Amino acid sequence: MSSSEESGRRLSVLHIFKVYYPDLFGGTLSVIRDICAGLKDSFVSSVLVCSSSGGERHVTVDDVAIERVRSLGDMLSLPVAPTYPLWLWRRIARHDLLAFHAPFPLADLVFALGFGRNKPLVVHWHADIVSHASWRRYVEPLMRRTLRRADAIIVSDAALASRTPLLLEFSEKCHVVPFGIDVAKYDTPAAPAVDAPERGRLVLACGRLVPYKGFDVLVRAAAGRHFEVWIVGEGREREHLEQLIRHFGVEERVRLLGSVSDAELARLMRAADVFVMPSVTNAETFGLVQLEAMAASRPVINTSLDTGVPYIARDGIEAITVPPGDHEKLADAIETLLGDAELRQRLGQAARHRATTTYSTEVFRAGIEKVYRHAVAERAASASSRAARSATGGLLGTVQIAAALAWSDVRHRYVRSLLGPFWMSLQMAIMVVVLGSVIGHLSNSSAVSYLPILAVSLTAWNFLSGVVIDATTALQTSASLIKDRALPPVIFLLQCFFRQALFALHNACVPLVLWLIFMPVNVADAVAALPGLALFTASTLGLGLILGAMATRFHDLKPIIESTLTLAFLASPIIWPSDMINRASTVIRLNPLTHLFAVWREPLTAGHVSTASVVYVLVCVAVLALASAVTIVQLRKAAFWV
Amino acid sequence: MASIDLRNVCLDYPLYGSYDFSIKRRLLGGVIGKADEARAVRAIDNVSMHASAGARIGLAGPNGSGKSTLLRLIAGVYPATSGRIDITGNVMPLLGLAAGANLDFVAVDNIRLLLRIGGRRPTPAVVDEIWSFTDLDESMRRLPLRMFSSGMLMRVLFATATAFPADIVLLDEWLSVVDEKFAAKAEQRLLKLVSASAIVIIASHDQALLRRICTSVVHLDRGRIVSTVPAEEHSAHRMGLKNSSHEDIGCQRISR
Repeated sequence: MSSSEESGRRLSVLHIFKVYYPDLFGGTLSVIRDICAGLKDSFVSSVLVCSSSGGERHVTVDDVAIERVRSLGDMLSLPVAPTYPLWLWRRIARHDLLAFHAPFPLADLVFALGFGRNKPLVVHWHADIVSHASWRRYVEPLMRRTLRRADAIIVSDAALASRTPLLLEFSEKCHVVPFGIDVAKYDTPAAPAVDAPERGRLVLACGRLVPYKGFDVLVRAAAGRHFEVWIVGEGREREHLEQLIRHFGVEERVRLLGSVSDAELARLMRAADVFVMPSVTNAETFGLVQLEAMAASRPVINTSLDTGVPYIARDGIEAITVPPGDHEKLADAIETLLGDAELRQRLGQAARHRATTTYSTEVFRAGIEKVYRHAVAERAASASSRAARSATGGLLGTVQIAAALAWSDVRHRYVRSLLGPFWMSLQMAIMVVVLGSVIGHLSNSSAVSYLPILAVSLTAWNFLSGVVIDATTALQTSASLIKDRALPPVIFLLQCFFRQALFALHNACVPLVLWLIFMPVNVADAVAALPGLALFTASTLGLGLILGAMATRFHDLKPIIESTLTLAFLASPIIWPSDMINRASTVIRLNPLTHLFAVWREPLTAGHVSTASVVYVLVCVAVLALASAVTIVQLRKAAFWV
Repeated sequence: MASIDLRNVCLDYPLYGSYDFSIKRRLLGGVIGKADEARAVRAIDNVSMHASAGARIGLAGPNGSGKSTLLRLIAGVYPATSGRIDITGNVMPLLGLAAGANLDFVAVDNIRLLLRIGGRRPTPAVVDEIWSFTDLDESMRRLPLRMFSSGMLMRVLFATATAFPADIVLLDEWLSVVDEKFAAKAEQRLLKLVSASAIVIIASHDQALLRRICTSVVHLDRGRIVSTVPAEEHSAHRMGLKNSSHEDIGCQRISR
């Protein structure tokens, strides 16, 4: 992987967010748009979002390919797009870098499940989840997993990184890249906007009409004062705001202008005397729109939120900062500014200066590009040094190693054997024939029809006892791997399970052949037996884990387990035909093995299975699952035992 | 970036195997009054150390001073009894070469299996590279390891274990290969591995070796850190070559 090869082609980056143009307009979207446009020389950008508008799936906006996944509507401010995770998973593979614009829990889900682990991920932290705080704690673990896995986190202001508890956990990954603004757009002296009031009266605000923007506070502030308020933007709060305006009787002075074009907004900015951003919650993290006002040399009134907002336009320098939600203070601040042309001028000039120097588009572009490139390069470096390595940690890695070890065991099982792969099956066949004939003499039932069920029962029993007996010695025999190569001990218990499962599949040819010869083939019954067989297998795995660990810890358990298995084999209805068993006997009824075999054997022989057996087995599986969980935790100490 | 951070780490090694925990002893222990026998040995006692990328740390100390136990603690084999362990980067413990090898399997199967155990995919190219490093005859690939002399066996195991670099490499004793012809080659490969890793920790009795390889040497005694000695000037110069080559890698990562 040479660097020349990489610089030769543009890297492709996938932007992941909930919505994009043309479905919606807003600060976050313009940031994504600016990133796509700014990095177009070095990155090919694509955007994967949701859309409930039902328009075309693939659209192009400003030369950027947008893919819109169908959404059924919004719930809790989130698009309901059940197929989004699937599409995200499929698209991840095509890109060199993932740029995730948080918050968007639907995508967190994909990352939390570990998909796209091999791709570099940069999280743009736009805001925390504020509007549905009660849901947040369910989503927080997902967000944490995403951040843990991320290569870098980009925030717009240092205050955001230091005041968001979740980000504090990952402070070493956080990069502060302030948004940029193209001040040139606001250079041309604006033609006076249509029917603008005389100088010194116009207050402008702009944003989506959603609760956190606090426009209701602004409407309240206008009541009983004399200034004019124009609010630019569209959204679901419109009706509420109109009601409020009528309620206060300020229809003459407060106007909702709806959406306007960028050029028109620039004109309005120039025409206004004061720009107000009355946002009331920390969902407002930066307030890109106040930066636009600053570029247009407007004095700003913002709110003292716990985010970057009061640090972008600073109280007394470029702005007046008021407490969020306080309409009295807001109105006072507006009147202070409107009544003092000299102060307006001073703040406005300072604002323009700050927008030009601190928040230039070039600084923003270079900052983002540096983080992106670094994330890609870090991944490439670690990927090449690891060369197709899969993590030894993680569940998948553990299972993979266990499976590889088991497969190797099976492949080498016949090393130095005389009969090769068939000696095992042959042994099984001989056992079935001998046992079948002996029991056939003792019992009334016909030996021939009994043979297939005997063979399949023996195979299953060999599997179960094989796993347990193997597991009792597994950790001891692999002591060097546990202690010298630091492999998790559970690998070797899983190895026993996989190995015995492969042996069982191998042996299964005996019952299969017998079945085909002696019994009518009934596919439906065989399918009905599968759930029971799954329960049987799960119980076997649990028993292997628990007894394997315990026998390693307490050495006297191994002989006890062995003798118990022999006893259990004889005391359970495994080889005995049904007419030789008194089903009412307490030993048989309480013996878990009776039911463990019944749940899959009865569908094969009788076509149905008793509810009592199913319940008994489910309880057993639940108990085993619980004990297995405890065992896996305790296995951390296994290195002391071997 | 790789780092190791141990803070006030203690490890009590439980003493199983004696009859201390049996039910008989528990029931009778109170009667006989011998209950306060030690049930654990403090193998690591309040150890704090920090290593960041570029660190080459040597562990020195007499037998039983806790060198290997500390390596295993870092590798995650033993859980610490108290204290905090923070490790970033993937850890490759090379504490024993023979672990996982099966003498009945043929050589290439062992190589594949050992790579799998290390979490790597044994592609034919990787296996070929390993085999060519061993300098053994091509026909021996398909012979079981049982037929190999101990020197040849060492070659195969050594070549396999050192085939991939890792962020953090833990070595219990410098892996020396007795065969004279091979020794120089093995040393080269090991040095290369050391220089490609971000952090290397070597436990050894060989003071000269530790001074030659390491940036600092930690002396242990009965589980405690007795002293931490930074490497001497001349050895720093020798390591300087390797260090700078490592930094080159770091720079490339950033500049790309």
